[in-house]
Amino acid sequence: MNEKTRFMLALITPAALVLILFQVVPILTGADASFRNWTLHDPKRTWVGFANYLHVLRDAEFRDIVLPNTFGFMIATVACSLVLGLAIALMLNNRFPGRWLVQSFVLLPLMVAPVIAAIMIRWMFNDQFGVVNAALEGLGLAPISWLTQRWTTFAVILLTDVWLWTPWFALILLAGLQSLPPEPFEAARIDAASAWRTFRYITLPMLRPVMVVCIVIRAIDAFRTFDIVWTISGGGPARATELFSIYAYVEAFQFLNLARGSAAAVIGAIVIVVFALLLYRVLNRFVEVSK
Amino acid sequence: MPELKRFIRLCVATAVGLAVSAGLVCTQAQAQERELKVGYMKNPIQDASLDMMDKWAKAHGVKLTRVPMAYSVFMEKVTATLTSGTDQFDVIWHNDDWGQLWKKWLEATDDVKGMENADRWPLLAFWNDDKKLTVVPMAHTVGTFFYRTDLLKPEEVPTTFEQLISVSQRLQKEGKVKWGYVGGMTMNNTWFSLWWTMWANNCDILKPLFERDNDKLTAAKFEPAVSEPCHREIVEFWWDAINTHKISPPGMTAYGRNEANAIFMAGEAAFTLVDSTHFGEFNDPKRSKIVGKVGMAPFPVGPRAQKPTSWNEVWGWAIPKGVPAERKQLAKEMLSAMMGDEAGQIEMWKKTGGPPPNLKLWPKLAAEDKDFAALKHAVFDQTPITHSAYYFAEWPAVHKAYSDMAIAALSGKREDIPKVLAEHADKIRRAATGN
Repeated sequence: MNEKTRFMLALITPAALVLILFQVVPILTGADASFRNWTLHDPKRTWVGFANYLHVLRDAEFRDIVLPNTFGFMIATVACSLVLGLAIALMLNNRFPGRWLVQSFVLLPLMVAPVIAAIMIRWMFNDQFGVVNAALEGLGLAPISWLTQRWTTFAVILLTDVWLWTPWFALILLAGLQSLPPEPFEAARIDAASAWRTFRYITLPMLRPVMVVCIVIRAIDAFRTFDIVWTISGGGPARATELFSIYAYVEAFQFLNLARGSAAAVIGAIVIVVFALLLYRVLNRFVEVSK
Repeated sequence: MPELKRFIRLCVATAVGLAVSAGLVCTQAQAQERELKVGYMKNPIQDASLDMMDKWAKAHGVKLTRVPMAYSVFMEKVTATLTSGTDQFDVIWHNDDWGQLWKKWLEATDDVKGMENADRWPLLAFWNDDKKLTVVPMAHTVGTFFYRTDLLKPEEVPTTFEQLISVSQRLQKEGKVKWGYVGGMTMNNTWFSLWWTMWANNCDILKPLFERDNDKLTAAKFEPAVSEPCHREIVEFWWDAINTHKISPPGMTAYGRNEANAIFMAGEAAFTLVDSTHFGEFNDPKRSKIVGKVGMAPFPVGPRAQKPTSWNEVWGWAIPKGVPAERKQLAKEMLSAMMGDEAGQIEMWKKTGGPPPNLKLWPKLAAEDKDFAALKHAVFDQTPITHSAYYFAEWPAVHKAYSDMAIAALSGKREDIPKVLAEHADKIRRAATGN
């Protein structure tokens, strides 16, 4: 090992140690707990094999409510944020007066902590004091109890997540748009291609690699969403909007069964790894074809 | 490579510097006065109780360090500390909700002077397997039925569920309030709607009704009582209150106590039921439009009950077993001083609405304070039908299963209520047995 390699290793070591101590060790400890009888108040830590995994997988709520909710939420939020983010990026890619102001305004949600946004939204959709119902009543419409039914609650959660994440899509896609070579666009202009055809046959195919990265990163992140759902609905009404992360949290920290919570978390991790690999492969093929 | 040598020298120098600083800090800390660390939840009652302890600590040359934690992480964080056997806290906040979970990790407190003046009824959750207590009470937490004194005379306050509906509707028709009753309903707020009416209708969650002995509940295989007629009646009562009689807001199934209190404090509801400790908040001119217009009364009773019931539990302090003997003794002296601080306890009541843990003070306080007299009449003079929780390890899971059942029943059609309750009974049983 030469001196340069040693120097590089010396630079990497502190970060690697932090990563091992605060990421790898807790993950391994959690995985270990999932195979044991490990309640928080009475940690016997006796080996129980896959019993906790079987309990989670046999739980009808986990299979029939939590997993469909999680995937439904993930697909809906990624799709909506992508479409809106792309629209905003396309708008900001053009020169117009006050563009800097619009750009700053659009990015505002990125600066708001998700929990703060969720508390704000919960009160905005409050059936008595909420500004949304006040607006509905102002228009002569009946107020709605947004958080008492499954789909209206789901819509409020989705709206919050899309509001928070659309600017992120817009920012990345705008960077992607600004890095595209100008020649194909000039050629399209010479050929008198319409704006839609230019977008459909030039912009979109060239932007696909950036979109694939955005979709994969955001899909993984959306799968583990916790804060906004917990704050807005707590997974309710009943368990109608419960996502995988809330299921794991409730098992581990409300029922104090760390073992079952860990087993649920490991199952979730495996599901998302498999899903992300499949998604990446499918989308990558899509990009290859478009080349 | 000179850069590498310089870098390594810098790292070594930094490490040595940090080690020396840490050593100095430790030496200084050891040389300081005696210290007691209290882990608690930031709350006016707990702060008032800590103020009493602080008085004693200052007089005895002890440094009292307050370590506040959020409610949402308190139990998990302290449980992890207790089971690891560390002495991070010398005194911790203790609550009946997790009384039995911590029993083997806590020091017995029977020998704390002043415990003889504590009410024995609310201490059920805090006995360990050796029949020793593991808590020193800080304040009573009692559900209290509040009404608007500017709208009703004491004799007009509803005493039955039926009257609760009729009086509410009358006040709504007269345009005095938008809603009759408002209360929290989501998980951990179940007490403020479903459960007070359940006990006020002579009903309970598990069979045998009102039993809290874990051995007897185990012998009965944690059989849920939710399909019983007395239970169906209270779910139907709330369904009707929201949908038929419209005395409660349609969004109430999603309310926690914050939303419910906001409506009551905005002057838009005539009645609510919540812990007595919110009385101070209702009379805070910065937050409430009903200052000086809030009275307390016994719970209205359901069709199956003859007289009002109540619940009466305590918040308390406990000492972890892992604390060294000398500090345990010091902590007991401090808690004993708190139990004996009559002026401090009266001040706590006046500032926060937290009823004093020393029973001997109650008659005196009732004689000189009309609000305490009202609370005594509304709650302490009524006989609790049972305790307001169960005290076995799976109770949080049972509470969640119950809450999901009730919200599902209230969110559906009225005619489906019996079916929903029957379907969820097995979930409650499985939650209670850990399956």
